[in-house]
Amino acid sequence: MILFSKLFHDLDELTKTNARLDRLEEYFQTASPEESIWVVWFLSGNRIKRAVKTSELRMFVAERSGLPIWLVEECHDQVGDLAETISLLIENRENERSYTLCDIIETFLLPLKGMETSDRKVLMNKAWDELENSNLLPFHKLLTGGFRMGVSKGNLCKALARVGQVEPAVIAQRLAGNWTPENLSLRQILDPVEGETGFCKPYPFCLAYPLLEKPENLGLSSDWQVEWKWDGIRAQLLTLRGKGMIWSRGDESIGESFPDLLECVKALPEDLCMDGEILAWGTEGLRPFSRLQRRIGRKEPGSSMIKREPVKFQAYDLLRLDGVDWRTRPLSERRECLEKIFANLPSGFPLGMSPLIKKGSWSELEKLRMESRKRGVEGFMLKQKNSPYESGRVKGFWYKWKIDPFLADMVVVSAQLGHGKRSNMYTDYSLAVWNEKKELVTVAKAYSGLTDKEIAEFDRFVRKNITGRFGPVRSIRPEMVFEIAFEGVQNSGRHKAGVALRFPRINRWRRDKKPQDADTLMQIREIADAQDKPEDGGPKMDQSGNLLLF
Amino acid sequence: MNDLELLEFRPEGLYCKEGDFYIDPRGSVKNALITHAHSDHARPGHQNYLCSEACKPLLKVRLGDGVRVEGMEFGQSCKIGNSRVSFHPAGHVLGSAQIRIESKGLVWVVSGDYKPQNDQTCESFELVKCNGFISECTFGLPVYRWLPEDLIHKQINEWWAENAELGNASIIFAYSLGKAQRVLAGLDSSIGNIFVHSAVDSFFEHYKKAGVRLPSTQIIGSNSDQTYAGSLIVAPPAVEESNWMKRFRGAKRGFASGWMAIRGSRRRRNLDKGFVLSDHADWKGLIDVIEGTEAEKVRLTHGNGHALSKFLQDKGLDAATLRGAEMRGEGED
Repeated sequence: MILFSKLFHDLDELTKTNARLDRLEEYFQTASPEESIWVVWFLSGNRIKRAVKTSELRMFVAERSGLPIWLVEECHDQVGDLAETISLLIENRENERSYTLCDIIETFLLPLKGMETSDRKVLMNKAWDELENSNLLPFHKLLTGGFRMGVSKGNLCKALARVGQVEPAVIAQRLAGNWTPENLSLRQILDPVEGETGFCKPYPFCLAYPLLEKPENLGLSSDWQVEWKWDGIRAQLLTLRGKGMIWSRGDESIGESFPDLLECVKALPEDLCMDGEILAWGTEGLRPFSRLQRRIGRKEPGSSMIKREPVKFQAYDLLRLDGVDWRTRPLSERRECLEKIFANLPSGFPLGMSPLIKKGSWSELEKLRMESRKRGVEGFMLKQKNSPYESGRVKGFWYKWKIDPFLADMVVVSAQLGHGKRSNMYTDYSLAVWNEKKELVTVAKAYSGLTDKEIAEFDRFVRKNITGRFGPVRSIRPEMVFEIAFEGVQNSGRHKAGVALRFPRINRWRRDKKPQDADTLMQIREIADAQDKPEDGGPKMDQSGNLLLF
Repeated sequence: MNDLELLEFRPEGLYCKEGDFYIDPRGSVKNALITHAHSDHARPGHQNYLCSEACKPLLKVRLGDGVRVEGMEFGQSCKIGNSRVSFHPAGHVLGSAQIRIESKGLVWVVSGDYKPQNDQTCESFELVKCNGFISECTFGLPVYRWLPEDLIHKQINEWWAENAELGNASIIFAYSLGKAQRVLAGLDSSIGNIFVHSAVDSFFEHYKKAGVRLPSTQIIGSNSDQTYAGSLIVAPPAVEESNWMKRFRGAKRGFASGWMAIRGSRRRRNLDKGFVLSDHADWKGLIDVIEGTEAEKVRLTHGNGHALSKFLQDKGLDAATLRGAEMRGEGED
């Protein structure tokens, strides 16, 4: 545990990304492979599921420290992080048996799963008796899971790549998808020879930067491949030996939810990987994202659901063909090959190719972009024709040129403490607009958009204006107005206000506005109604579902 | 009957009618009793000030020489109107006092800021029995639990030595009155040179006169040839993001405060190191003192007293947060 504990505290204190990267590399050089693979697993965002419930943990801590449960909860609210809260409440001990990380996992963490509450309590207390103070926080982090210690997945791959002298992209692919330290070893991750293990795994997705400057600064428009920016689920579709897999950007295998798309595998070449977007797509054409939501998360949907809510895979890139990695080839070449594949595709499959927009100048494109909202897309994607398929967000190759968001002025009605870097500051806000009865109704929650200075100032305002407490939520005097940006509105029966906003975030703090100047629920509903209505029958398309408008 | 019996809460602050004086008031009043010389307690603008004798010179540094101020020795009592008043060490910073007020057969104590923990740079906290106790509660949650100060001093010296070995300067942000001196008192001057910001220096001579042992220091900027590699610098947090910091490019930055107990407070400021060193009582300190006073009524101020008052109520005490007293975030510590 000492090695890992030291790593944890160092990463927690180091303020520079490169220093953290060095420290992580040093750890992998010294720690055993058996221990390292667990650290890789945890840093990939995994956790030991159902080891212990939050409520149980709070109860055990309360009993041990002689505090009432509500006070433990109050502490949790204040600190913002459960693992840290518990570590601060457990009495210090200095009599640790020397455990390695693997010991800790085998002795304490894995056995917790499936235990009766009373046995769990005994085991947790044993851990608290035997662990030294500085090891408590790392231990509790392992227990509650879902931590990064300031290391992104990309940097984790970089550190491992340095240790094994393997390309970070290869490491990233090997770490993709679902795996456990039981079925993947550090040796396999660092293997210099590309084995067969990764075939049905996705490649790390290439991500786009928002275009913040004028498109003219990107040079000639003819150097760029322009596509609509689709509003669906980003996914990679893979085939191998007659079987298919679909991976989402969250490294989740989502094929089970889309058996209709897996059917397409029959029509596709062998050992292929395409990047694209899953869209809700009926006979009338593209449908809004809200229709797709009915399919998301529903595993093995019935045939009536598939009929009612049909989907389509809109391909836009080719990453692998006949077992050959195409990612380093230029985009223009990949696109050409993708077009050939689609030319030979039999009809009747829910597959499409993201059409290219062949308008001459940036200014013509600018004009066309204004139609985005009417077409149900989010703007343009700009991809440099010579670019390789990068792992992650790399500047200069892919840009999203999005339409301007909707804006509305809303009143902050309650606040909650944030997490991680923002723990013990009120940074999560509920926002409300006026309904017909002149009451404020909450329509959104927003976490981001203020500067650090504004956050600190707003935190002080919250603390002086609390009017009620509901668990971790503090209602506050409705005096402050934020301008909220969002991408769309859906009518929603689950929300009290009857609408749900997509990607709400704070655009700016409207100090010049009074609460009575905030927008109304009616205005928000109008946006939702406009969006839910299909535009006169939807766009026209060919037999395989490609839009004909462009 | 007035809830606070001998006291009442007015817009200017706590007021004692029997003696016609305020405690740590804001605005402009005739008679102000001051618990200690921190700026959120000792404000300018009043006609007459009364504080502990040890606090007097510090108050003059804060408010200027022209201010009308008298000092009382700790434990000495005097009559003000129909009340009897005395000052008792609060252990917060040098000269900090709890104020005891006796009238109509009742005793109330206003704690100001206090800590029962050991601190070599100020008078030790004195427990005063009373009927009513107005207590601060800056760190009123059980997650706040202080380690003995010599352990923290050890952490600071180790960090400094580690940085010095790599040729880096170390800066510790600490409030210029109290915390800065407390940090300095524990430094091992064999590691390197010690520098202070001029705001920290202004209280020095009074600490020395009071018999507090501090290492020898140089003021930043007094000599243009100063180099800082391997040295330790103590500066007030207010300069953290100012141009003044430019001369220390590459220096490691630490902060000494009770708030550093929570990682978020450290990470938000992008500090290299947080030292959990507080001049306020921790949770256990608050409970021990409150119970020790044997007060029947406890009123909490300066902090989020919600949890502590509920905890005390559950124990059967008449406890509440002081009505009108503002809640504080990460205030001075």
